[in-house]
Amino acid sequence: MKNIAAEEHIITGKPFYLEQAEELHIARTAYNNGLPILLKGPTGCGKTRFMQRLAWELARPLITVSCHDDLSTGDLVGRFLIKGGEAVWMDGPLTKAVRTGAICYLDEIVEARKDTTVVIHPLADDRRELPIEKLGETLTAPPEFMLAISYNPGYQSVLKDLKQSTRQRFVSFEFNYPPPELEAGIVREESGIEQPLAEKLVRLATMTRSLKDSGLQEGASTRLLIHAGKLIKSGIPPRTACKATITETLTDDHEMLAALEEITSSIF
Amino acid sequence: MIALDTRELKTRFAQAVLPDILNDWEIEEITEPLQDLPNAALHEIFRQITAIWPVSHALCNNFLQAVTQGLTCLHHSQLADWVKAILAAYESGGLHQARQLLERVEETFLCTIRGETGISLAEITGRLQPYATGLAGHPLELLPGPEIYTDTAAVYLPSRIAIFPKQTDNFLLYKLIISFQWAFTAIGTFSLHLPEGSPAITAATQKHRTVFSAESAGLNGFFNLFPEPSVAAHLFHLGETARATSFLHERLPGLMRESGPLFENLARTIPQDPHDSTGEMQRTILLHAAQGSGTGPSAATPFSRLFQGDATSQNSACFAAEAYDRFRDQGKESCPPLIFQGVLRPAEVLAVQRQKRAAAKEQFIEALAAIISAQPPQELPLEKEENEALGAEFPALEGQTAAIIPPEGAGKDLPDTKRQGEKTLEFITIDDSRIDLPDPLKKLAREIVEDLGQIPPQYISSAKQAAGKGVAQGSAPPPQEGEALAGAGLFIYDEWDYRRSGFRKNWCSLAAKKIIPVAGTFVGNTLEKYRGHLIRLKHQFEMMRNQERFVRRQKDGDEIDLDALIEALADIKAGLPPSEELFIRLARDKRNISALFLVDMSSSTEGWVNTAIKEALILLCESLEILGDTYGIYGFSGMRRTRSELFQIKDLTEPYSDEVKGRIAAIAPQEYTRMGPPIRHLTRLLAENDAKIRLLVTLSDGKPEDYDDYKGEYAIEDTRHALIEAKAQGVHPFCITIDKEAHSYLPHMYGEVNYICIDEVGKLPNRIPEIYRGLTS
Repeated sequence: MKNIAAEEHIITGKPFYLEQAEELHIARTAYNNGLPILLKGPTGCGKTRFMQRLAWELARPLITVSCHDDLSTGDLVGRFLIKGGEAVWMDGPLTKAVRTGAICYLDEIVEARKDTTVVIHPLADDRRELPIEKLGETLTAPPEFMLAISYNPGYQSVLKDLKQSTRQRFVSFEFNYPPPELEAGIVREESGIEQPLAEKLVRLATMTRSLKDSGLQEGASTRLLIHAGKLIKSGIPPRTACKATITETLTDDHEMLAALEEITSSIF
Repeated sequence: MIALDTRELKTRFAQAVLPDILNDWEIEEITEPLQDLPNAALHEIFRQITAIWPVSHALCNNFLQAVTQGLTCLHHSQLADWVKAILAAYESGGLHQARQLLERVEETFLCTIRGETGISLAEITGRLQPYATGLAGHPLELLPGPEIYTDTAAVYLPSRIAIFPKQTDNFLLYKLIISFQWAFTAIGTFSLHLPEGSPAITAATQKHRTVFSAESAGLNGFFNLFPEPSVAAHLFHLGETARATSFLHERLPGLMRESGPLFENLARTIPQDPHDSTGEMQRTILLHAAQGSGTGPSAATPFSRLFQGDATSQNSACFAAEAYDRFRDQGKESCPPLIFQGVLRPAEVLAVQRQKRAAAKEQFIEALAAIISAQPPQELPLEKEENEALGAEFPALEGQTAAIIPPEGAGKDLPDTKRQGEKTLEFITIDDSRIDLPDPLKKLAREIVEDLGQIPPQYISSAKQAAGKGVAQGSAPPPQEGEALAGAGLFIYDEWDYRRSGFRKNWCSLAAKKIIPVAGTFVGNTLEKYRGHLIRLKHQFEMMRNQERFVRRQKDGDEIDLDALIEALADIKAGLPPSEELFIRLARDKRNISALFLVDMSSSTEGWVNTAIKEALILLCESLEILGDTYGIYGFSGMRRTRSELFQIKDLTEPYSDEVKGRIAAIAPQEYTRMGPPIRHLTRLLAENDAKIRLLVTLSDGKPEDYDDYKGEYAIEDTRHALIEAKAQGVHPFCITIDKEAHSYLPHMYGEVNYICIDEVGKLPNRIPEIYRGLTS
């Protein structure tokens, strides 16, 4: 495990983010008050980008942990490693963020095991401290530190739900696909394509989103539209680009693929 | 080509229809048409007879009558496919439908396999149904209908389109029709609202001396202002089609570009007749459709103005009113509407709207009532002032209830489409207490507001009443629709017929039954008898329960594995390469298993086998209770295809209670062993379960067999196929057979690795928990 200095997590260029409803302002205020934040919303609608922008505005390093179902407390807090015959303590990303006053962003928190999520509890209330059992030490977070978590409530699985004891510690933001005009603007800005083409992509996405629950698990996300836009910008014909980035990505079902092809070919 | 002699023919036929025995003269009569056929064809025919005869004797007769004729245009290698089609037709529409295929081989069968009969609605639904839903943003059904039209909830289409020789063109036409029908809804054709004094109304009422009434604002009412409403409707529809064309050019340019040649094709079919203005207009539409918005007609005439982007349905109405006189005389004999245009059926649209409104109302009231009744009762001192305040703001309300819409969306005067979604109904105020709406209800409320402009106060007052009566709380959920077609507890299943490599549709019916538990000493005795064994079993199963365990010697983990570390240090000292696996990790593997046990209750289990099975089940349940896996037990038996019976002993969710023990004790031999239907049923039950590992364990003795023709190879093949279906659905089948010797058919029926044969009944109770342990660890 290579130890990356917290400074390397500082975001240098201003990330592009279109504010929809004062969410940046509210998040900054939460930060100033030492409150943790919770972002919820479907995949690819800008949660991570929002965090990058926030970190950039606050000029703090952003340490992102993508949670998975094997993520243990040790993976977050840290553990002893053997180096040259000696046991050496190694900070986990959460501990590192607390020590350096960075923003720690736990992406898709519900994917992590439930017992793992509990370690963030003392950090997420007014105590703002992180007990490290193995070191017998308790870290108190500096005012610069911020905890942010995200999850996608759309999975509708009992197992993938956030416990009330966890969620009731956070200032929550709901993210969704932006309204069409805004979304077209985002796609245009991010991929560099012309406005009319961006509008068409958004129209395609809207149609796939209305197929959610009638054959598709999720509609096309803004991220997919940007991917499609980038391919088109680089000279790939729109229909081919949409097939590669949107239809094939959304489903494996042959009939559904054919249906999505029909939609794409109608629009482009 | 050697023809068989009559005697040989008859013998082979008699063999093919076994076990039925026919008289000699009957056979002679039936086989007569086959006399002169070559041997190869006959061989194939006899093979097919074995598939048809058990389904219907009459159909078989018909088949033999028709087969000589059929073979004049079919090669005998195509017979199997033909028979398959015939059987499918027979099972869906009876002898009558099957005869069509038998008698008109050329048109009904050969053309389809050559792909010459156009394309059917059924073929395109899979592709275009999601397309339609995607377009509309809500489910828009594609249904067969006598005419092409839409009622906004569905698009009615011809069941087959065979206008063009190429399939792709016919498909495109379907897609085009759907797009146009959707466009009519999207551009607001059906929401035409003409206020009194609007130009269209003035033109119509003045010319025809009719009187405006409240109804005249809508579609049908407007048409009725004219002496011949159909002509006005026809003109209005043309105008709307022009608008739809422009709309589709803007929205679906890809589709319109692809359909260009198709439009040109259609334009050529319209006769050139300068006196027929309808034809001219249709040609204008097609031309515009083919060439796109850039080359549209100039805005010189009232009709061509409709192609412009800002035209509304009011413009179409004006056009209809103005052009009416010119078309009145020739209108009747004018061209039929363009195919993608279909017809307008305002009455049906209205019916759908009403239905939707009623459904929304009912749903809303029910949901809101449930919320209200869940609210704690409150004393309301402020009621009066609050009511007055609200009453002032919402004069239409009854003074005590109000639906609050945040003002930012409500005040804006935006076009209809844009305003949608901006209004969000957040909460409802009733008697001063604010009730926040949960998300689904919010959505419903938004739909109602979109439709009616507000939540009508009577919706809320009805909800209050319903809540007061406690109606909402007590209402039971509607009965589940499943495959329980023929009444409660009866399930219909297909059966595999290996002779035709296809399913016999809806062949078996399976009745779900309950066993009445018996009280007795059986369970107690069994537990006593296997006391020692049970302790061992429980211990073994407890070991398997280990949901948390430390795994040593891992490359990474939470703790250092000291043993490994010391070893590694020693290795370093000794100059050996040390191991990198120095950590302990806590592994948590939760068992996530659902198992169903299917127990043979046929008459052959009478005696020892039955007792052994029951004992085995008791031991199994005791062990599984320790383990905590979800499991269910079902028994099966039955007689003939119409009466397969499945006895529920314990379902997946039921606890292992005294009642379940009593049911196990009550297992008794019944009738026959038809294995297909119960396996298919339990597979379905398991497929609905979301456990990671789904196990289906069958417990039987000997071959599957039923009173009818379910025996021998047929029964083995059906059982085998049912197990293959189970595997395809992610269920792991495992079969336990109690038999003195392992028969050679077992590997084929169950599949090499999926079965075990227990040769001695007495071993069964000990073996079954062990087998389960082996299967799941």
